[in-house]
Amino acid sequence: MTDMRGRLVACRVLIAGFAAVYTSTRLHELWAIAHLPAAQLEQTGLARFAVPPVVVLACAIVAIAACGVFAAGRWPHVTGPIAALAFVYVFSVRSAYGQIFHTENLVALHLCALAIAAFYDDPKGAVRLLALLTVATYVLAGIAKLRLAGTAWLDGDQLRNQIAVDNLRKALLGGGTAPLATPLLDHPALLAPLSIATLVVELAAPIALLGGRWAVAWVTTAWVFHVGVLLMMWIVFPYPLAGLAFVPLLPVERLRKRLPW
Amino acid sequence: MRVATIVLLAAVAWPLVRDPLDDGFPLSTYPMFAVARPTTLTMDYALGETRTGERRTLTPGLVGTGEVLQAYALFDRAVHGPREQLQALCTQIAARVARDDDYRDVATIRIVTGRHDAVDYLVRHQIGSEVDRLRCLVLR
Repeated sequence: MTDMRGRLVACRVLIAGFAAVYTSTRLHELWAIAHLPAAQLEQTGLARFAVPPVVVLACAIVAIAACGVFAAGRWPHVTGPIAALAFVYVFSVRSAYGQIFHTENLVALHLCALAIAAFYDDPKGAVRLLALLTVATYVLAGIAKLRLAGTAWLDGDQLRNQIAVDNLRKALLGGGTAPLATPLLDHPALLAPLSIATLVVELAAPIALLGGRWAVAWVTTAWVFHVGVLLMMWIVFPYPLAGLAFVPLLPVERLRKRLPW
Repeated sequence: MRVATIVLLAAVAWPLVRDPLDDGFPLSTYPMFAVARPTTLTMDYALGETRTGERRTLTPGLVGTGEVLQAYALFDRAVHGPREQLQALCTQIAARVARDDDYRDVATIRIVTGRHDAVDYLVRHQIGSEVDRLRCLVLR
């Protein structure tokens, strides 16, 4: 029988632990962003108005500390909500200056779900919510492609243009281009199958809810998809690339038994 | 937990009834990569120019952000905003370049509006047109 309590603990440790480490690695960038002119702030998430940089830095430090303590399972009724709120605020600020990032959405949603779960004794329901959130974000991304591009997405031209323009922007702004970008742009016939595969991975995400081999198969495919995005566009999605976006779908409680949590 | 699950999932699904381009955080419509775009790109950015007239691209750190996409937004606003904002940005970049040994050959900062075909630029190394918006000297 699946140890859902064990899986929930493993999810909390891994997800909140990731959030603490990830926020730590972003401190320098957050500090720089907080110095951008207040007039450039566009209301995003919990970032409704500009605040002094030291406030953003303080919130980031609170997020790191709360996520760390929450991961350790201490005072979850307090540290869970503080971790979720501070994380959402800090990364709302990051996305409020002209570019909404999509790298922290699922971490934020998972933290909110874990914070809520701290108030209930329902590990199975909590793990199900975490898994549904993972699946929902992929399905929404697939639906967005159909809403915005329709079947035109499938012929590969749109993916080619995305890769080309994204890499050009990076080249002009000194960010460097991705290793597979130029070879793929030089062989555009490969892009139609990649476009179809992208849509299939996103829209087929609910099969992961079947668990077992279905979950492993979808998680593997989704992970490879993110590796592909990295190699084609230099866009790093650290949460899924580290495998942590998928932990609610996998038997991570087995891992927990080998570690002293 | 069931009510909380329904509320959170409804919130996550709420962007489905919004304009797909009305993005947000953490509740997103996930429009990335989904918007149709041509391969021709017109954008504003900074270049370094050496004393011999060679063109050098500048890293986002020299612009004042570690993120390429934020640098992109920064230039867009500065070029299309008040002239003083553009002047201030150019001066700040020049000051950072002056302190960076990797750019010791750069004598002038050019903020330009460039128009390139992305495939031509990346695959065939054909640089499109670049119009100066502002130039400022790197003072050392």
